[in-house]
Amino acid sequence: MRYVDEFRDPKLIRALADEIARLADPGYHYRIMEVCGGHTHAIYRHGIKSLLPENIDLIHGPGCPVCVLPMGRVDDGLSLTQYPDVIFTAFGDMMRVPGTHGSPLEYKARGADVRVVYSPLDALKLAQENPDRHVVFFAIGFETTAPSTALTIMRAKALGIRNFSVFCNHVLIVPAIRAILDSPDMRLDAFIGPGHVSTVIGCRPYLFIARNYRKPIVISGFEPVDLLQSMVMILRQLAEGRAEVENQYSRVVPWDGNQAALRAMADVFELRPYFEWRGLGFISQSALKISEACAEWDAERRFEIPGVRVTDPKAAQCGEVLKGVLKPHQCKLFGRECTPEHPIGALMVSSEGACAAYYDYIHRAAAVAD
Amino acid sequence: MIDLSIYGSCTLDQDGCVTCGDTAIPVRVLEVHGQEALCEDRLGQRALIATDFVVPVAPGDVLLVHLGVAIARVKEASR
Repeated sequence: MRYVDEFRDPKLIRALADEIARLADPGYHYRIMEVCGGHTHAIYRHGIKSLLPENIDLIHGPGCPVCVLPMGRVDDGLSLTQYPDVIFTAFGDMMRVPGTHGSPLEYKARGADVRVVYSPLDALKLAQENPDRHVVFFAIGFETTAPSTALTIMRAKALGIRNFSVFCNHVLIVPAIRAILDSPDMRLDAFIGPGHVSTVIGCRPYLFIARNYRKPIVISGFEPVDLLQSMVMILRQLAEGRAEVENQYSRVVPWDGNQAALRAMADVFELRPYFEWRGLGFISQSALKISEACAEWDAERRFEIPGVRVTDPKAAQCGEVLKGVLKPHQCKLFGRECTPEHPIGALMVSSEGACAAYYDYIHRAAAVAD
Repeated sequence: MIDLSIYGSCTLDQDGCVTCGDTAIPVRVLEVHGQEALCEDRLGQRALIATDFVVPVAPGDVLLVHLGVAIARVKEASR
C-alpha cells in the first residue's frame, strides 16, 4: 500500500473488524495493553475502540516518559537554575510539568534562565553561541529520543564544547514492560508494541515477553488498518495458543533496529543500576546515565544534585492509571480538579498521557454532546 | 510517489509529543550536505536533518525524523 487512504479504507477496516469479532472468544474478557502513548491517541482519534467487541479491553501502558518521571527528578533538574551562569533548556512538553516549587515555565516567570529547545542539538548550538554561560539540557524520553541526545554529546565531544551538559532522564521501555508483567495486580493477555521506539531497538528485545511470559506482542503502526490488523494478529496467536513477537509495522521497523543509533547509545550511555518510575516504583536497569567516557557532559557529575524524592499528591491515582489497573476516568480527580488546563498528575500534563487522551477524546466530546 | 502519510501523520511543525518518542516525522530527502540533509515533509515544509544514523542517504530517500535526527530510512525509498 502506498497511500494513506488505503490505511483508512472503510471496506478494509470493516473486514478487519469482522475478523476480530470472529476470532474473539465471546466467553473470554481480553486485556490487551498498548504500550505507547502514540497508540493510545491513535486509538481514540480513529475511534478504534468502537470497532472492537465489548469483551476486548484496551489497557493504556506506561509509554509516556513525562508521565513516568517522578516529581523529584523535575526538582533535581530545576535545582540547576540556581547557578547564575546556567541556561536551563528543555523540550516544550516539559515546560508545564510541575515540580514541588513550580514548573520550568513558572521558574522562568520568576526570573530563571529557562529556554525551550526543539532538539538537544539546538541546546548545543545555544552553548556555542554563549561561551561564557553553561547550557544544561534536561534530557527525557525512551529509545527513540535517546539517539538524538547521544548524537549531541558525540558532537560536543568532537567539537570540544565544554560549556554544555545533559541532565539525563532517558528510560527504557523493555524493563518497564517486564515490571508490568511482574506486577501482581496486573492481568494482561497481549501487547501492542511501540512503533517508532522499535525502529531504534528492533524486535529482538521483546522476545522475552513471548518466551518467558508466554504473551503475544505485535509491533504496530498508527493508522486504523495498522491497529486493527495488529489486533487480528494478536487474537490469532491467542486462538492458536502461540506467543510470538510479530512485526505488523515492517514498512518502518527492521527486525534488528538501527544499529548505528544503538552503537552511539552504547558509547554515550550506560545503564543505571535502578531508577524510580512514577507508579511503578524502582526498576532495576531501566534508565540511562551518561557513560564514564562522556562524564564531562554529565550535569549530574558537574553539579551537586539534591536527589529530591517527592510522593505524588495522595488524591491523584496516577500510579494505578499508569499500570492500567484503573482507567483515567476512574481516578477521583479526573475531569474535576485535574484537567489539561489545571493538571495535578503528569498523565494530564503531557499531551501523550493517557488522562489527556481520555479528556480530549471522550470527556470533552461528551461535554459537547450534552 | 509514496504518500509520506503512510509513515505517520506528523509534520515538521506538528510533531506530536516529542518526549513520547513514539512519534516520528516522515520526510523526503532533497539534498545531501555531509552529515545533514535538506528534507521536505508532506506539507512541503523543509528542514536540515542530521543523518548520522541512516547513512548513506540520497535524494528521494524517505526518512523518519525525531528531534531533528533521522532514526530510520524507510525500505520503500525510491532508490
